[in-house]
Amino acid sequence: MESPLVETKLYIPRLRRSLVARPRLSERLSRGSEARLTLVSAPAGFGKTTLLTAWLAASADEPRSVAWLSLEESDSQPGLFWTYAISALQTAVPGAGAGSLALLRSGQAPIETVLAILVNELSAVPNEIQLVLDDYHLADGPDIEAGMVFLLEHLPPHVHLVISSRADPALPLARLRARGELVEVRAAELRFTLDEATDYLNEVAGLDLTANDIAALEGRTEGWIAALQLAALSMRGRTDVASFIAGFAGGDRYIVDYLVEEVLRRQPGNVQSFLIQTSILDRLTGPLCDAVTAQDGGKAMLESLDRANLFVVPLDDSRRWYRYHHLFADVLRTHLLDERTGEAADLHRRASQWHDENGEPPAAVRHALSAGDVERAAGLVELAIPALLRNRQEATIRRWLDLLPDEVVRVRPVLAIGLVGALMSGGEFESVEGRLRDIEDLLGKPRADMVVADEDGLLRLPGAIQMYRAALALVRGDAPATIRHAQLAVDRTAPDDHLTRAGAAALSGLAHWGSGDLEAAHRAYSASVEGLRRAGNISDILGCSIALADIRITQGRLGDAVRTYEHALQLGSGSGGTVLRGTADMHVGLSQLACERNDLAAATQHLLRSQELGEQTWLPQNPYRWRVSTARILQAQGDLDGALHLLDEAQRVYMGDFSPNVRPVPAARARLLAAKGQFAEALSWVREQGLSVGDEVSYLREFEHITLARILLSQYTAQRTGASAAEAARLLERLLTAAETGERTGSVIEILVLQALTQHARGDTAGALAPLERALTLAEPEAYVRVFVDEGPPMQVLLKAVAKQRSSWNYVRRLIDACGSTPVSSPTRLVDPLSERELEVLRLLGTDLDGPAIARELVVSLNTLRTHTKNIYAKLGVNSRRAAVRRAAELDLPAHRSR
Amino acid sequence: MSDTSAGHSRRYEIRIQGHLPSRWTTWFDGMSLTAESDGTTVLEGPVLDQAALHGLLHKVRDIGLPLLSVTQLDTDTPRRLT
Repeated sequence: MESPLVETKLYIPRLRRSLVARPRLSERLSRGSEARLTLVSAPAGFGKTTLLTAWLAASADEPRSVAWLSLEESDSQPGLFWTYAISALQTAVPGAGAGSLALLRSGQAPIETVLAILVNELSAVPNEIQLVLDDYHLADGPDIEAGMVFLLEHLPPHVHLVISSRADPALPLARLRARGELVEVRAAELRFTLDEATDYLNEVAGLDLTANDIAALEGRTEGWIAALQLAALSMRGRTDVASFIAGFAGGDRYIVDYLVEEVLRRQPGNVQSFLIQTSILDRLTGPLCDAVTAQDGGKAMLESLDRANLFVVPLDDSRRWYRYHHLFADVLRTHLLDERTGEAADLHRRASQWHDENGEPPAAVRHALSAGDVERAAGLVELAIPALLRNRQEATIRRWLDLLPDEVVRVRPVLAIGLVGALMSGGEFESVEGRLRDIEDLLGKPRADMVVADEDGLLRLPGAIQMYRAALALVRGDAPATIRHAQLAVDRTAPDDHLTRAGAAALSGLAHWGSGDLEAAHRAYSASVEGLRRAGNISDILGCSIALADIRITQGRLGDAVRTYEHALQLGSGSGGTVLRGTADMHVGLSQLACERNDLAAATQHLLRSQELGEQTWLPQNPYRWRVSTARILQAQGDLDGALHLLDEAQRVYMGDFSPNVRPVPAARARLLAAKGQFAEALSWVREQGLSVGDEVSYLREFEHITLARILLSQYTAQRTGASAAEAARLLERLLTAAETGERTGSVIEILVLQALTQHARGDTAGALAPLERALTLAEPEAYVRVFVDEGPPMQVLLKAVAKQRSSWNYVRRLIDACGSTPVSSPTRLVDPLSERELEVLRLLGTDLDGPAIARELVVSLNTLRTHTKNIYAKLGVNSRRAAVRRAAELDLPAHRSR
Repeated sequence: MSDTSAGHSRRYEIRIQGHLPSRWTTWFDGMSLTAESDGTTVLEGPVLDQAALHGLLHKVRDIGLPLLSVTQLDTDTPRRLT
């Protein structure tokens, strides 16, 4: 279940039938299509939202997509804010931002990484996009600001930001202004001019006022639209308009207050009560109003308010949800607070109850807190926590718990463990152990005042306490303690609490993996998978499968790794048509294995499939893993530059998880640099990592130390200088012993290959054959190819030497053939060639035409065009239009030549 | 948790354009409201800390009343912020 979004917030507010035409402002807004940011900044009631909706409606036939987000007070948390912003973009451009949204929801990525991916995704959208953030002042703050500044700086030229706000946002406005990248509409321009006021009062509102009356109204309101609107409401059906205007124009009273009171006084008593009582609600719908007012007829009342244009703004087409205009709601609330003291708490409590019964815990908690009923709020939070943790909304839990007094939390053990979960996910570990002890004490000698709302949660506590202790130990880097507490957690979980057991097993797996005990790690992860299967949590099984396969690959058991991925793939795409998150990552894993076995066509197909499945099927690590796998294929094709470029990108989008990072991207990059002969750069990586040949060797740094040996060896081979070959040989010897002891056959094979190459480089070809033959013997049953063939001509020489002695060894002959068929340099062909249609699309991508124009040219829909573009990007191993065109030129594809 | 490190709350005077009926007292967290003859209103009262002060100013902004000045009262020389 994804966290529920309030859909009405993504809905472009409906326009009133008749409006004052404001061409001077629409023209200015249209200039926004050349600017990065359009800012409509003015106090409440200046018609900002109306102006934007009217402008969008009038220019609706332009080929662009509009993403609308009406912000609310609770949106000032970055996680929620960006979830809504990206969801708004998805409403406008289906599919856009799916990857960044998945990443955001994973809760594992810094906002800037999410936004970097969003920017990439938006670059691939061919048409203009307007992202409108209405009532931005409600969300603005340091937490949102950083991301917004980043987004503004990196926004592709066809994406425009439109902000309406009561206060200037904390963005670099002066700089944007100086660069001509800011279009502004401010209070001075938004005020109704005398002509507009005349148009509004006499035409739209249908009053028949004299020029003098209008001048008096305009003067008193200073063109403030909300005030003019209220004045028009007050005058409707009045016979004494002149005296009303005289009375109103003379005073100093805050006009909105005066006018709301005028309007209220002219309403029947039941309407007055309804307005005042429901003013506590952020959003109104019939049944909710009935619950709050303890009366019937809320729906009819809202409809009649809507018809009479009285304070309400409809939030959807079906007239189900409304809200009060903020300015009026504030005045109504002062009436509530002043005239009905004591009633407000009851109203809030009833609102809380309704939201609770209708599955909206956040609103239920908010109203309970407003009612001052902390006990009720605490109970609601306790029950809401499991779903919130599942949806990675820890920040929401944290904020709520800040509002609950400590003594309330202390007697609620299930609530307290929820807080521990939120603290752990947020990286706040300091107070966790103390809190766990308090919970244990409470469970040990239950107090009379102990409160439990979630009875099932109580049964989960003993296991959960140990699971969190295991996690704490893992954070400390204390593997034995992690394993000990994980075992205690497994022993103490309730029989049907499969999730806690799975969590504890995974923690144990991580601890074993990090300490290099691969077999134990594999066993623990398998237990975790079993728990997840029983709990029905298939999606997390896919994540565990990557760990299981990675372990098998290190152990040199490629066949087992393939089976792990294939099994997970079936699970991921098996359930009723929906493809689970993580499914795409199984393809990336299979691509890696196919590549090692030199089936480059299959390897490419798997990567394509990962792309086709779409971002919503990606784990957060997909963007970087996909690029690393693509780089491997390019390297196998001899395109080292292309591979290096992709690894650079992989580094930028890198996203760690809890698994030990045993194959760091920078190390893979250093290997490529060495292969390309860029030793200075490769050695500077060695220095940055503080690596040296004398280091103690361990599993965690094995990949990096093998990389160091490779760099020394290539340097020796190329330059024939220094003691680097002897140093490499000594390092390899120690690495071999360690890998053999740890039973890491995958590593053993690679180390033996390097030993052979080192001997060969030092002129001892005969001495090279012993390690090589050992490597071949280990590698044959698992059908390794690239670990040999990637080494190029020296390896070809050595393999031929082996074949000469053992002519019947078919495996060796196949490897020699594979060497021959691998281009040595200059990538001139694609494994998966572009279709005629794709070449045609590629040619048009090289022109100035935008997406819709290309689609028209090809007579296809935008969606079809997007599919073609995606396939082209995948086949070329790029992720932007510009890169595709560049790559086409490099490859000298027909698309490029025909231009 | 409230910020009490800055010590006790301080008195502020916030002046806005236009007259507000006394009904708004609760809305402004108990600040006293005085309508002045020059058409302005003075809100006066204790303000817990800077966050509370900004909260009050947001309320002024949200009802669209022009803000004229903010003055801290219980210092030797009143400090004018606007």
